[in-house]
Formats: sequence, structure tokens, C-alpha cells
Amino acid sequence: MVLLEIKDLKLYYKTMRGLLKAVDNIRLSLNKGETLGLVGESGCGKSSTAIAIMRLLPRNVGLFEGKIMFNGINLMDLSESEFREKIRWKKISMVFQGAMNSLNPVLKVGFQVAEPLILHQNMDKKEALKKAREMFKLVGLPPDFVDRYPHELSGGMKQRVVIAMALILNPEIVILDEPTSALDVSIQAQITNLLKNLKKELEVSMIFITHDIALASDMCDKIGVMYAGQIVELSSSENILLSPKHPYTQKLIASVPLLREEKMPEFIPGAPPDLVNPPKGCRFYPRCPYAERELEEKEPPLVEIEEDHFVKCWLYSG
Amino acid sequence: MSKYLRNTFSDFWASKVSKIGVFFLFIVITVSIYTLITFPLDYGVRYWNNPKYWVDNPKAAMPQWVNSFLGGGLLDHQIISTSVPQRSYPSGIYYMKFYEHVFDLKVDQFPTFLTLKLEKLVYYSSRTPTIKLFVTRPDNKTIELYRLVAEAPLPDEHPPYVRYAEEPKRILLSGETQLSYFLSEFLLKEYHVTFEPSEVTKIGYEKVIFGELYEDNFRPLKGKYIFTVLLHTLDSRDQIGKTTIIIGGQIYGFMGTDILGRDLSQGLLFGFPVALLIGFITSVLTTVIGASLGIIGGYIGGRLDDAIQRISDIMNNLPQLPLLIFLTFIFGGKLWVIVTVLVAFGWSTLVIVVRSMILQIKSSSLIEAAISLGASKWRIMAKHIFPQVAPYILSQMIFYTPSAILSEAALSFLGLGDPSIPTWGQILEYGFRNGAVFLGYWWWILPPGLLIVFSAVTFVFIALGLEPVVNPKLKRWR
Amino acid sequence: MSALLNLQNIKTYYYVRKGLFKTLTIKAVDDVSISIDRGKTVAIVGESGSGKTTLGKTALKLVEPVSGRIIFEDKDITRLSGNDLKWFRRKAQMIFQDPFTSLNPYMTIKQIIEEPLIIHGFSEKEREERIIKALMDVRLYPPEEFILKYPHMLSGGQRQRVGIARSLVLEPSFIVADEPVSMIDASSRAEILFLMRDLQKKYAMGIMYITHDIATAKYFSDNIAIMYAGKIIEYGPSQVILREPIHPYTVALMNAVPDPDPQNRFKMRRIVPGEPPNPINPPSGCRFHPRCPYSDGQRCVKEEPQMRDFDDHRKVACHYAEQFIKR
Repeated sequence: MVLLEIKDLKLYYKTMRGLLKAVDNIRLSLNKGETLGLVGESGCGKSSTAIAIMRLLPRNVGLFEGKIMFNGINLMDLSESEFREKIRWKKISMVFQGAMNSLNPVLKVGFQVAEPLILHQNMDKKEALKKAREMFKLVGLPPDFVDRYPHELSGGMKQRVVIAMALILNPEIVILDEPTSALDVSIQAQITNLLKNLKKELEVSMIFITHDIALASDMCDKIGVMYAGQIVELSSSENILLSPKHPYTQKLIASVPLLREEKMPEFIPGAPPDLVNPPKGCRFYPRCPYAERELEEKEPPLVEIEEDHFVKCWLYSG
Repeated sequence: MSKYLRNTFSDFWASKVSKIGVFFLFIVITVSIYTLITFPLDYGVRYWNNPKYWVDNPKAAMPQWVNSFLGGGLLDHQIISTSVPQRSYPSGIYYMKFYEHVFDLKVDQFPTFLTLKLEKLVYYSSRTPTIKLFVTRPDNKTIELYRLVAEAPLPDEHPPYVRYAEEPKRILLSGETQLSYFLSEFLLKEYHVTFEPSEVTKIGYEKVIFGELYEDNFRPLKGKYIFTVLLHTLDSRDQIGKTTIIIGGQIYGFMGTDILGRDLSQGLLFGFPVALLIGFITSVLTTVIGASLGIIGGYIGGRLDDAIQRISDIMNNLPQLPLLIFLTFIFGGKLWVIVTVLVAFGWSTLVIVVRSMILQIKSSSLIEAAISLGASKWRIMAKHIFPQVAPYILSQMIFYTPSAILSEAALSFLGLGDPSIPTWGQILEYGFRNGAVFLGYWWWILPPGLLIVFSAVTFVFIALGLEPVVNPKLKRWR
Repeated sequence: MSALLNLQNIKTYYYVRKGLFKTLTIKAVDDVSISIDRGKTVAIVGESGSGKTTLGKTALKLVEPVSGRIIFEDKDITRLSGNDLKWFRRKAQMIFQDPFTSLNPYMTIKQIIEEPLIIHGFSEKEREERIIKALMDVRLYPPEEFILKYPHMLSGGQRQRVGIARSLVLEPSFIVADEPVSMIDASSRAEILFLMRDLQKKYAMGIMYITHDIATAKYFSDNIAIMYAGKIIEYGPSQVILREPIHPYTVALMNAVPDPDPQNRFKMRRIVPGEPPNPINPPSGCRFHPRCPYSDGQRCVKEEPQMRDFDDHRKVACHYAEQFIKR
């Protein structure tokens, strides 16, 4: 059952040099209980997509349009106050990049987790803290940690607090933006295990944003690969990881140094394009090993080459 | 660097405040340049503090333009000179030369004083000539006002005898006792009223000369007055180079005068480059010393850092004013004393802030990279640390300028200033000292005060405009 | 052939003042011995708090050790400083993690790369030649275009190459690369690592490659040292260590890293509980014992295991290494 469907989403920022096309016409869909991975490298627009869904836009937005269908409603039609009251944090919540460092240092972590309950559900403080304790148990923290301050917790513990904060209002979708990139590898594994458990127990749907495709394979049922503000490939993890079609996806996977096999990692020469003046045609063209001159000027469409497998590449569309 | 500078400039220029600030600064600089070109550098000593230069001006006169607001009822200051006698003819063995000055009293005011000035008297005869001053009033009455015999030739002098050439002979008629007798006689003759000379002095000569007696009071007599300087001599070649009659008015000049008759517009103008200079020198010195010590102490650390910190703590806690009074007492009120004290007490705050910035930069990988390349401490401080704090230091320097200007004004106001240079603070101080506030001499008090504020505000605006450059959080999105 | 760099029993501690009377000792590197040969790369792998970055800085004398010896090209440089070290600085260089903050934003690329040459007294002509050569070595073409640019005009990968060029321009014999690719896009990392390997071959340099990414260590180093809580707990040829890790921590580290495999999401990763210890107060005995699934609760708690030699050029610090090796 489709929970979230994004079509033709555009988010452009105003900069001194012109309009920066951070998210340029993407489509995505998320089913109930599913974890969708948004994989891409710096500047590809994955964080901006999350901001667009949560409507936490900065002041310098140049263009914001498209369709975000959630449970049959187009979120883009809602006013700011409607979105704030009904959707944000209650139906869709987010774990931000570096969130563990944005915890309020002068408030106890238990209170910070309980706060959304007090504010949005008018719960009294005692009841809210009780719920916070339950949530702490769920994320693997001892319940009496509710009385601790952020500086008394390690990085992994703080990340669990932040996850608890995102789950406290029982949202249907949680967006996680690089939830483990600031953590050590061994702690990272703990957190991904936790998320796997939560996925099973709470049946919450997740959008997992990361630059690490191996990490995406550890969490995601479906993967969308983003490049230069666009979705270049979207399909199940099996399809993406085992038979990637887009040259960027292929090279991205080939760049991962494998620990359990012997394969020299590859690389893609060059750098992603400037999003203020992106190339007119395929944005991966300058770096693509299969590039053909004639196709430089025309942008390839996103086509469904097999069931639930979308690719945006001339190799697969005429 | 150019893109960085361009971005920096656009950040700075973006706010209205900086545009206003730059405009004000442009005014200040233009006026200062104009002043430095038109006035000699020793203006202060040569003119401002030289009472002789101002002797012909009215004292505490309002600016001329005030007259237009008050319906033109005030008397303008007049200086009437002539170099050529109107009439000259022989009379017996004598020769008479009449130097005439016409003065039209158009308003209902008495002149504030009357001065006769004689320049370059040249005479040939061995008998010294006599000079007399008469006035013919609009009512056709003539009064002899003053009589003077030129100084006799010295034993070793030869004709032509020159008198009053280097220094003009100035006779402040308003203070001469001769007049009291002449005027007393006049009053008796014309009005049949007895006024003793001492009483005449008390009433004021101007009232008698320029007024008519009406019911025990003197009313200004409007009309034409002709002041004649008569040179009574034996030799027809004798002459006076220039005779001048000065009628003291109530208004003078663009900004009026102070109690010494000094043209305030000149003093105020001169205050511009002085304020700029003091502000600039003080802030530059303060910033250079404070920033250098902050960088060196912060980077090198150890005992040197401790020493610098202790010294700046001490300087911060010393009372600035008593020390300044003490030093002024020893060295006299000199400009360099003020600047030195302002600098000495200013650098310590900058040291603390710069030092903390350095401590943060010190642990960055940029500095580690420089160390690993083998760079010496000094190279690191100059090439890698300094550019990072330079914008902050520059904005601090600009922020210090208004405080330096205000400090100097305050010190001058307290009487600790340098009397040889006219500054706005000095003008204010002199005004207050002479009771300008109580006497209502607003043109003496308001302009210097406003100019002090204006110059300070100029730099404050510029510094405010620089804030986004220095503080990245205030930057506009890019 | 004697080693290029020999670190013997290095202890590097940081002292932090807490309150008026108390000083805390952070034992960042606590008795580490390691040597690096010419033309070889030794990877120092560890998580945060392991001491790997401090070890790298100690090796370059950017931080002074509390005890131990640093022997470079057979000369003991432990006590040297200032001008006496200038010759060492010319031969030993560092590549930094963050290409954004390690380059002076106010200097052009030319000035950045030229700086070490100016410091060490090269003539203008020599400097120009070396700068162009360095830019070509790191494949920033055309060099003439790059020398006039400023760091903010380049991409992260290009900036990192400038950093590498700067460290190469003196033709050093030893390089410490501190997480050189962790701030670079995944798809560009191998490019930089290959570049470093080619340059190593060209100039016969010894490289200390510090990283938390054990997978890159596998392909780009000859030997690996695994650090935990300030100590090296396993050391040996990269291929051997990663094919058959002995120390339980090494095993845990490898288990925590996923390869891209769609089956991963159905399985829990094998983890060890807890977090790396506090370097102010490390656990007694074996520092890994609170988290180790094989801790015997007695010897592991009381006695600190020493690095012991094994046949295949390996060293491990674990009381039960023999049992693990049979697995």
C-alpha cells in the first residue's frame, strides 16, 4: 500500500550566482512498512528532498513545487499551520544530520524526548516522562537515563535519544538523514540493528538517506539513487545492488572496497556538475563511460524498464 | 583574493547603514582636506590662540544667518576702511586730510563696540601730525570722539617717519576715557543734560554716539553716520596708509563668534582634520599594539603570554582619568600626551579578544599543516594567523575611532586638552567655562557638540556595516 | 634494511586542567611500537579514541610524546625541536583529513604549494619547476590554470590533491596520511588512494595511512595495525589480517562493516556491546575486556596482554590468541 508518493518535486534555492536547482523534478514512492534508501554523494539533493518533505525550508527558496501525496492528500496543498498541526512530527518526523549534537545542553534528555507529547498532545509532564521512559527502553537505553544531560551521554547514546524523539508521537514515516555518519563503525552497526528492530516492532516506514550504498543495503528494501538533483535509478535493493542499470549506480557500487571479496575498488573521475548551471542533457554525461556525443544535449526520461525499476538513461530509452 | 574582496565589499555595502556611513565619511574627509589646504598647519598657535587676531571681531556674536530668522533686526558687524582721503586741502600753514567712513545704521540696535584702526602713518615734517576722529550723525550733529598725536621721531631717525606699519594702531574707543569727556560735553551742549564722564562710561559710549536721549533712555538713532579721521599735519606728503572704523555688530560670520571674538566657523572647520587625525592615529596605534600582542601572546603562549595577559589586566583596571590628569600635570596638556594615554588604555581589551581567537585558530589543521611544513613561528603568525583575524581587527579599528574622538572631546572638555589646537572639545570647554550655557550662546555650544556626535556616528555606521563581514552568522545568504 | 621510521614504546598523553587543583591525564597513545619501511604503507586502523591520529601527529613531532623514542633514518629525533628539526620537516610530511580547513583560503594554489619550498630555501626557478611538477604528479591539469586559483574555487577532491601536492613538493621520504579520503565522495576515494600509491612507488616513500575505514586499508596498505584505546592490539600483513583476523576486536570491527548485499537487511549485524573506553580511565587488564565476548573474567581483567609474535609475521595482544588462530 503506497504511503507516500512524490511526483515532479522541485526545490530551487536562491543564491548570489543564480537559482540552485537542488531537487530537480524527482519522483519517489514509499510503501507502508518499507524502508526506502536515498543514496547519493555530496550535493546530489538527498538532504534537500528530506527538507522538502518536512517543509523545513530555508529563507532563500526560489522555487518549491510538485506533488507530495500522503494518504491521499497532497501535502503541498496544506497551509503552513495545517502542515505544522497535522503532519510534522505527528505523521512524518525526521532525524537530522548531526542531530545528536543539536540536543539542548541545558535540558535533561528525558524531557527533550517528552516535549513533543507535552506540546502537541497536551499531555501532562508526568505522563509524558513515563512515555519517554518506555521509548528509552525501546531504543535500548536504560530508562533512568531520562534524568541525564546530553553531555553525560556518548555519541551512540545521543543518537538513540534523537531516534526516540522522532518516534515519540508514533509517526507513520520517519526520515533519517545520515543517522550514523558521525558515529564509529562499531556503534553504527548497533544503531542499524536498532533500526532493524524498530522497523519490525513498530512497522514504521522509513526514508534512509546516506552516501554509503553498502550501509543502504543494510537497511533498505528499496533504493533511489540520486545524482545532481535527480533520481537516476529507483528500484528494489536486489535490483539496484545485484543488477544496477544506470552507469552511475554501477560505478558507485564498484567504488566500494569490498571487505569479504577481492576486488580493487573503482572510481569515477571528475566531480558532480554545478547545480546553478547544470548541463542541458544528461547530467552524468561528462563522467559517463558510455557517453555518446549525440545524446549530450537531450535529457533522458525516467522510464520503467521492468516492474518497479526506473532508470534515467539513454541506454534504456531509445 | 579579488573574489573574496568583492564578496566582502558586497556584504559591507548591502546595508543602508554602511552607505550612510560612507557618505558621512566622505563629507568628513572632504572638509578635512579643504581645511588642511586653506589653513596653515600652525593655525592653532598662530591664529586661534592669538587674541590680537580676533580683536576686531564682535564678541559672542551670533551667526549671520540668524538675522534672516529674526526678521533682520540684528546689527551686522561692519569694518569700513579707506586708504585715500576724501578731501584734502591746505589750511594756513597746515594741511588737512579727511579720511571718511560712512556707516548706515538700519536697525534698532546699538553697536556693541567701536574701534579705530590706523595703519602705516608716514610723515615728513619734524613736527608730528595730529589725528582726530569725528562723527557726523544723521541728525547732523558732530561729535569729536578722539584725539591723538603721533609718536615723535627718535634721535637717529630720518624722514620719512613711518609709524603703525608692522603693527596697526588699534584704539578701542569703547574703552578710552577721552571719549567720556567729549561725550559728556556733547550731551550738555545738545540736550542740556548733565552726565558726568563716569556716568557716561557706565551708560556706554555706543548708546550716546548712536542714540538719542528720549525720556531718560537712549534710543538707537537710525541713519547715516560719517566717521572722519582728520590728519592735521605740516607736510602735504604726510598720509595714513589705511584707516579703519570697526562697528561691533551682533552677528558675525557663518557660525558666530565666541567670547574672544574668534570666528567659530574657522575653529569648527579645523576641528574636522584634528578629530580625524586623533581618531585615526589613536585607533591605528591601539589596534596595532593590541592585535600584535594578542597574536604573539596567543600563539607563543607560555610565560610571554602570561606576562602580556597580566599587563593587560593591570591596564584594564587602572583608572584612566586620574592618570591622565596626573600626566597632564607633569607634561602639560599636549596632544601627544592625550593620544599616548588613550592608546595605552585602549589596547588591553583588544588583546583579550584577539588572543582567544588565536587560541582557537592555533589548533586548526591549517596551523598544523604549516608547522609540518617547517614554517617558523613568525611566518605562521604573519601568513596564516593574521589573515584570519584581519577582518575583525579592521572593524575594531574603525570602532575605536569614534571612541577616540569622544575621549579626546571629553578630555578637552575637562580642561585636559591641548589648548594650542582648536578641537571641538576645546571649543565646548571654553564655552562652558565662560558660561555660554547660562548666557544662551547656543551657536557656541550646539555646533561642536553636534559635530562630535556626527563624526562618531560616521564611524559607528561604517563599523556596523562591517559587522556582517566579520561575523559570519550575520551574513546574508549567498 | 633498517626501517625508515621506528617508534619505540611511544606514550603520548594530553593533560587537561579540570578545576583549580585537578589535572586529568588523557592517555591517547599508551605504549605503542611500530616501524615503517621505505616504499611500504602501514595502515593504522581504529575508531575514535583509539589514538591513531595522535600516533600520526607524534610520528611527525607535531605533538611531543611523554616517553619513548622516535628514530627516523637511524637518527633519534625524540628530543629535537625548532631549527634542529628543519631537516626532518623536509623529509616527513602530512596529508590532512579536511581539504577545506588545511589550506589557507587567502593564498593561491601556487602560494600554497610554494610555501614549503620558500621555507626550505629553494630558488625561484627551482620553485617554479617543482610546483608544476607537483601539480602534474597529482594530475591537476593544466597546471598553469590551477596555480592562479583559490581553494574555494576547487572541488573537495581537487583540494585534497593540492594538499597532496604541497606535501610532495619537497620530495619527502615519509608521509603520514591522516584520513586522507574520509571527507571525499565515495566514488572519488579510490582515485586519490591510487594516486598516493603511484606516488609512493615513484618516490619510494614510506606511508603511515591512518583511517577508520578498514576496507580501504585492505587494498591500499602492506601492513595493518589495529589500534584500540591507545594500544596496538593486532599487527601484520594486510591480506593476512583481514582474511583471518585473530583479535576479537578486529573481528568485531570487520563484522560491523557491511558490503553491498541486499540480504544484509534481513540479518542482524554481529556486534559487540558498549562503546570504546574513556581514555582518561581505561579498563584494567585488557582494555577490550568489558566488551569482549570471550573475556574469561579473570586474567583478561587483571593482566594486560602484550603484543606477541606469531609465525606469519603477525603480532597480537590477546591472552587467547592461540585459540582464536585455530578457528
